[in-house]
Amino acid sequence: MTALIELRSLRKVFGQRAAVESLDLVVPRGEIFGLLGHNGAGKSTTIGMMLGQVWPTSGEARVCGHDVTRERGMALARVGAIFETPVFYDYLSGYRNLEVLAQFSAPVSRARLLEVVEWVGLTGREKSKVKTYSHGMRTRLALAQALLPNPELLILDEPSDGLDPEGIHEMRATIQRLNRDLGLTILFSSHLLNEVEQLCTRIAVLQGGRKVFEGTIADAKRTQPRVRLRVNNFDQATRLLVERKLIDSAQDGAFVIPANGVGTDELVRALVENKFSVFEIAPEEETLEAFYLSLVHGAPVSDPARTLTAPPRVGSETGAP
Amino acid sequence: MKMFLLQLRNELWKLFAKKRTYIGFVMFLVAQNAMLFGFHFSSGMKRSMTRMLAGNGYLAEDYVSALTVALIMLIPQILLLMPLYTGLIGGDLVAKEAEDGTLRMILCRPVSRWRLLFVKWCAGVVFAVTQVFALGVMALALARLWFPWKGMFVLIPEPENIFAVLSAAEGWKLYAASHIFLAINASTMMTLAFMFGCFNMKPAAATILAISFLLLNLVLESIPALAEYLPYMLLHHFRAWVAVYGQPMDWARVWSALSVLAAFNATCLVIGGTAFHLRDIKS
Repeated sequence: MTALIELRSLRKVFGQRAAVESLDLVVPRGEIFGLLGHNGAGKSTTIGMMLGQVWPTSGEARVCGHDVTRERGMALARVGAIFETPVFYDYLSGYRNLEVLAQFSAPVSRARLLEVVEWVGLTGREKSKVKTYSHGMRTRLALAQALLPNPELLILDEPSDGLDPEGIHEMRATIQRLNRDLGLTILFSSHLLNEVEQLCTRIAVLQGGRKVFEGTIADAKRTQPRVRLRVNNFDQATRLLVERKLIDSAQDGAFVIPANGVGTDELVRALVENKFSVFEIAPEEETLEAFYLSLVHGAPVSDPARTLTAPPRVGSETGAP
Repeated sequence: MKMFLLQLRNELWKLFAKKRTYIGFVMFLVAQNAMLFGFHFSSGMKRSMTRMLAGNGYLAEDYVSALTVALIMLIPQILLLMPLYTGLIGGDLVAKEAEDGTLRMILCRPVSRWRLLFVKWCAGVVFAVTQVFALGVMALALARLWFPWKGMFVLIPEPENIFAVLSAAEGWKLYAASHIFLAINASTMMTLAFMFGCFNMKPAAATILAISFLLLNLVLESIPALAEYLPYMLLHHFRAWVAVYGQPMDWARVWSALSVLAAFNATCLVIGGTAFHLRDIKS
């Protein structure tokens, strides 16, 4: 399977600040790939480098098999992009906007323009000035302009930003349709973890310009599940479990991270044998949100050991009295 | 070539669909009407023109004409209003798009930054040329409403020092020719603002910088002690448009000015293009 996006040791420095640091990323053809990270994590800068809008300080960004810096024309020939808060020439009609933007890629026929307008559901409003469009209609117009060059890769930078729940649902359905029906590869950057969870097959998490995780959604949700534990004395109980190497750590006075291969039955047995009263024990299902939060809050940014690995779950409490 | 023309057409659509593009045209119309009103109802201008012509042995009533008045009206507008409106559009072409975010939409496309700039610059030149010719046609048409179609009297003081008395046919020909030079001047003013707009700055800042540059030239040019440096000043070369009315025409002066303006435009484009090429386009 060929990669449509390949970033190799990509680095971008603005003044004294590194916005993106040693970023390696591969997005294979046909995937919906999620790019996660909080504001300032480096997502938009990374996307800017993929689109040749931001020059990398070092490293290489290859899109559709071509180096964006050196072969921009070939790299972006079949790429469409949408940014957060779609901006258009408000004083022109939607149709004219599409014509203006599309002709920076290739001449586009009227039939193709109307086909795309219909595809995004703007038929009947394409001749109205964009200043009369709602936010949802602008987003659809943004999608239309992205689809016009017949792309094989769509880069969506926070496309659901500012949409109402119905709009978000519609956007999600459209992205799935584009991937399923047209076979487009999609890079989806978003703050909306729920959206990413529902749409993406794989994700990368950026923090402070560095990639702190890359893997499938299943990988993210599988890593080190927590177990909720309610006993008569949590601190003493967890100290015992740590001594017996049954858990790695305890968290928040209510959770434990079992050691590799240890089941809840072994934990209960050990606790009961040592006269602890066990009121509740239940594996907590990992959500992407919990995983993401643990990533961005749980480890130092500069720790290279975290790259490509699951995050170490170091709790603030160790269970020791 | 077809793509270039399509892109140029699109740039022109964008440019001429904006209301602010027409501010200059409207203001020229207002200024010309105000000046004509003054010329028609005040006797001062007619009296000084009559004295000047009579002193040189000409009949004033043969030369107080639409052509003479149109030319008189052009001079202050070109000096004061033209830099403002061409600077406004030149500063907007890149900087406004960067500010609005539409530049980011364009730069997702496989178009090179140099090509994009060149298309925009060509659109700016079309605007500058259109504005000059609109200015010339409006000035002449409005002057004709109030003054007869007769000979043309041209008096340009120092440093050009031109005194010409022309027939209507000859005057009309030179009036049209001088607009070609004015169009080059307007394009140069636009290019200057365009260059500043290629840097990471607000459109208003680009316009103000361009106008400041021209005003600084004007100030330096008016200092007698700097007279020997006149050939290094842009406005000196802009003034070649009046050399068209010289009898005989000073071709050396005209060609030298054209060469300097061509070089100035090329330099601005290279500086602006390089700055634009090197900068990061971010939201």
